[in-house]
Amino acid sequence: VSVVEAAPGTPLVDAGFERRIGRLLIVVTYVAVGLLLVGVALMVVSGISPLAGGPPLAPGRLVGDILALRPAGFLWLGLLAVIATPVSRVVAAAIGFLRRGEPLMALVSLGILVVIAFGIAAALVTEA
Amino acid sequence: VTSSAAAGVYLERNVANLRLGMTLELFTATGALVGGLIAFLLDERLLALLFAALLGYVAVTMLRQGSPAAGGVATGAPVEPPGADIPAVHEGLRGAALAHLSPDGYRIRNLGRGIAGSTGAGVVSALLGVGGGIIKVPLMHLGMGVPMRVATATSNLMIGITAAASAVIYLLRGEIDPYVAGPVAIGVFLGASFGSRVAHRIPLRYLRLLFVVVLLYTATQMLIRAIG
Repeated sequence: VSVVEAAPGTPLVDAGFERRIGRLLIVVTYVAVGLLLVGVALMVVSGISPLAGGPPLAPGRLVGDILALRPAGFLWLGLLAVIATPVSRVVAAAIGFLRRGEPLMALVSLGILVVIAFGIAAALVTEA
Repeated sequence: VTSSAAAGVYLERNVANLRLGMTLELFTATGALVGGLIAFLLDERLLALLFAALLGYVAVTMLRQGSPAAGGVATGAPVEPPGADIPAVHEGLRGAALAHLSPDGYRIRNLGRGIAGSTGAGVVSALLGVGGGIIKVPLMHLGMGVPMRVATATSNLMIGITAAASAVIYLLRGEIDPYVAGPVAIGVFLGASFGSRVAHRIPLRYLRLLFVVVLLYTATQMLIRAIG
């Protein structure tokens, strides 16, 4: 379905490639939201208020929290997946652009990843 | 969540412009990074006031652009984006880049303006905690000649990276509460999924009016923040 109002019915370029990226986004988002749903359900069951103040992220405790069915484990994993979803899309797009012989767009995708990595590094340095 | 839920649908339906989105996204993410790092150095009230003024200006411009007198969308008929009547002749490297980013249905113009605006959107997004889309949609539509629906869809695609770049910083600072963020993310997901599936059924003039309302609402909120 093309809804470009300037030229109804005119397909955008690379429909298949963009559809695949779209599907990837949808799948990863559904997984992330599924994890969050479990976390919120466990919050409700445990009688935890959203305003109770959640525990900070502790990667080492994540698996243990999930196995113990503690809401924080599912919520943090879901939130990490939410944050990682756009990044996974950029990685997929970069690979796709490379395969399609579009080095400039692959470079743009790589640039986005570099900026994100720099952001993480900068935040770590600031914290230290 | 908004970005991923909506952008997935928009990409699957070939509404969003992936190449344009990713190109502008590079600069928005850079702006967000800079904004996140200098957030504690700037006067938030002054920024909120300036942002409110900018949003007010954009809202009026969008209203005027959509009015019958401006040859806009009062009839509800499909409409060319502003500037679409400009001959789509681009020369040199810039022309090649613009042509590469432009699908068959429309021609993109003013890439430089788009890059500068996207960088600014990233900075403002990180500084004031507002979605960069509120800047990028008018920027793409009014400033670059991208059709309204494509602009909103492409903006959805872009805001994910801006948000992810900022979110990582807030995450590492321990400023994300999972008990608040989890339920909110689910609500946002439901809204974004619904919105992206019904957006193409909404006449363009209503979509534009809705966006103007959101612009004015955000401008008011920013004004209150600046004064209060």
